[in-house]
Amino acid sequence: MSTEPLLSVTGLTKHFPVKRGIVFQSAVGTVRAVDGLTFDVAPGETLALVGESGCGKSTTGRLVLRLIEATQGTIRFAGRDVRTLSRGALRDLRRDMQIIFQDPYASLNPRLTVGETLAEPLKLHGIATGEALRRRIDELLGEVGLSAWHALRYPHEFSGGQRQRIGIARALASQPKLIVCDEPVSALDVSIQAQVINLLQDLKAKLGLSYIFIAHDLAVVRHISDRVAVMYLGKIVELAPKRSLFARPRHPYTQALLSAVPVPDPTAQRARIRLAGDVPSPLNPPKGCRFHTRCAHAQDRCRQEEPLLRPLQDGDGAKGQVVACHFAESIVPPALVPENDPPYARRLAALRKLSAVA
Amino acid sequence: MTDAALPLQSEADQRAIAAIRRKNAVWRRILRDPPAAIAALFLIVIVGSALLAPWIAPFDPYASNMRLRLCPIGGARCPDFLLGADNQGRDMLSRILFGLRATLGIGIAAVLVGGGLGALIGLCAAYFKRLDQPLMRLVDVLLSFPSILFGLAIAAVMGTGLFSLVVALSIASIPSIARIARGAAQSIMQQEYMEAGRAVGLGDGALIWRYLALNCWPTILIYMTLQLGQAILLGAALSFLGLGAQPPTAELGSMAADGRKFLSIAPQVSTLPCAAIFLVVLAFNVLGDALRDALDPKLRQ
Repeated sequence: MSTEPLLSVTGLTKHFPVKRGIVFQSAVGTVRAVDGLTFDVAPGETLALVGESGCGKSTTGRLVLRLIEATQGTIRFAGRDVRTLSRGALRDLRRDMQIIFQDPYASLNPRLTVGETLAEPLKLHGIATGEALRRRIDELLGEVGLSAWHALRYPHEFSGGQRQRIGIARALASQPKLIVCDEPVSALDVSIQAQVINLLQDLKAKLGLSYIFIAHDLAVVRHISDRVAVMYLGKIVELAPKRSLFARPRHPYTQALLSAVPVPDPTAQRARIRLAGDVPSPLNPPKGCRFHTRCAHAQDRCRQEEPLLRPLQDGDGAKGQVVACHFAESIVPPALVPENDPPYARRLAALRKLSAVA
Repeated sequence: MTDAALPLQSEADQRAIAAIRRKNAVWRRILRDPPAAIAALFLIVIVGSALLAPWIAPFDPYASNMRLRLCPIGGARCPDFLLGADNQGRDMLSRILFGLRATLGIGIAAVLVGGGLGALIGLCAAYFKRLDQPLMRLVDVLLSFPSILFGLAIAAVMGTGLFSLVVALSIASIPSIARIARGAAQSIMQQEYMEAGRAVGLGDGALIWRYLALNCWPTILIYMTLQLGQAILLGAALSFLGLGAQPPTAELGSMAADGRKFLSIAPQVSTLPCAAIFLVVLAFNVLGDALRDALDPKLRQ
């Protein structure tokens, strides 16, 4: 990265204590939800966080915003150390860093009209009052494709897609630089997904936003992101520019994840890597490489020594692909669904066409 | 982006929705439930006549006439006193109207003050997780005292009178409302919109008021209505014991106490105030139950 990153996270860790007892509680263990993450986000960049349920993606998003307090690590956002901010400074931070939630049915206060919800950040940060406030709300609603008169309605009067746009409008209200999108489309219909995704892309282009895009739909990730970080059990196992990651995934877990993308073509022949067993409990993660219990390439070294995130020792490393695997160079990536595979290509083309229209 | 370009609902849809809303309005749902409708109408009449007591009472509730002492209902001595006279020869009807005024006033004041405090305690306990244990254990301590004992203790400290009665009843209604409010608020705390509010940057005050309280108030209101019956009953009981309203103040509890010596010769002096308490408390309980059903969206058809 030639430019100064907008957000840089080093060694971010969150351990949740597991408590027993009713009156006198004692910690009986810790859930290592997020364990030493290091990544950065450049201005105008979209970094996708992918991984299966419970790998700590959403926790990471909330830690960055300080909706949850981190256990360890540093978060620097536009020159500020997020973890040491005072209450007042934290409020200013919330102006520049926003979040879009997964569930559009749960993330809007049902007792406030849409206008009241949108007015909150504007009033709080002293952005607009009176007539200007009303105009700004109209503008925000217009920006996400709703009409001004929707401001007087309550959230339950809207469909899921419309509500998610209200959530986006709320996130945009204070003109932030970075938006954490916590699975913003996984609760929506496929047809609505495309609209919301393309809306997010248009807004990014128009307003110069950066996104941390948490998702598990890899087609969506491939469409929207610039770089992708793959997480497993609270750690990043691979972080790479989108093209290299989808073309040549180097970590065995990434390979398995990509091979699990469904191909809507019954005749397609492809290498499907099946992972045996379940994700180990984050209460007691495996020693050494956390993935060794399910990895087909695991050797003794993997059980003893924890692999650190390191640049690859070949051409992909130079392009910024980093991976946490001792044997990344020697593992041959399987044949994956190429981008020109007909059904996949059709869906990708549809997404691109929609974004061109919108 | 087609659905945004269309209006949300056509005019016909909006009319239909408005009609459904009118049909499901809270008061309509209450009126569809006959006992609740009767209770609501009864309470409107009772509260109205209590408020208007100085104007509609036929006689001065404190003017005594010893010649009319203990005159029975419809007695030849007191043809103008519809409900007879008490042991001082005062008009029972007027005294009951003024008594309702005092009793309802005490109950409502106590539930507003105690319920307000209780709701605040419950919301804070749910919102500030650190305060949860200390606050709720304090509430448990309050709950473990019998209310009558509370009344006695407060009367001993502050002296008898209407003010200390209201204080005692307020404290007595704090714990149950605090618990209900905490339970309701805790379920709201789990909602994603609480986190969304924090992400916007809202302070604790705004989150408690605009997010928690605004979403819990139906539950709290219903419980306060139910609690009102309890408070009235307890207030009358304390007055009966001589800890609340003092003679000659017209208050249903103390009137019942005054009249009990004449139960065998003039039963109306004691039984009429008791009947009034009974009916008012019953009506509040029925209405509270109906409100709970009406405000619970899960029970709507």
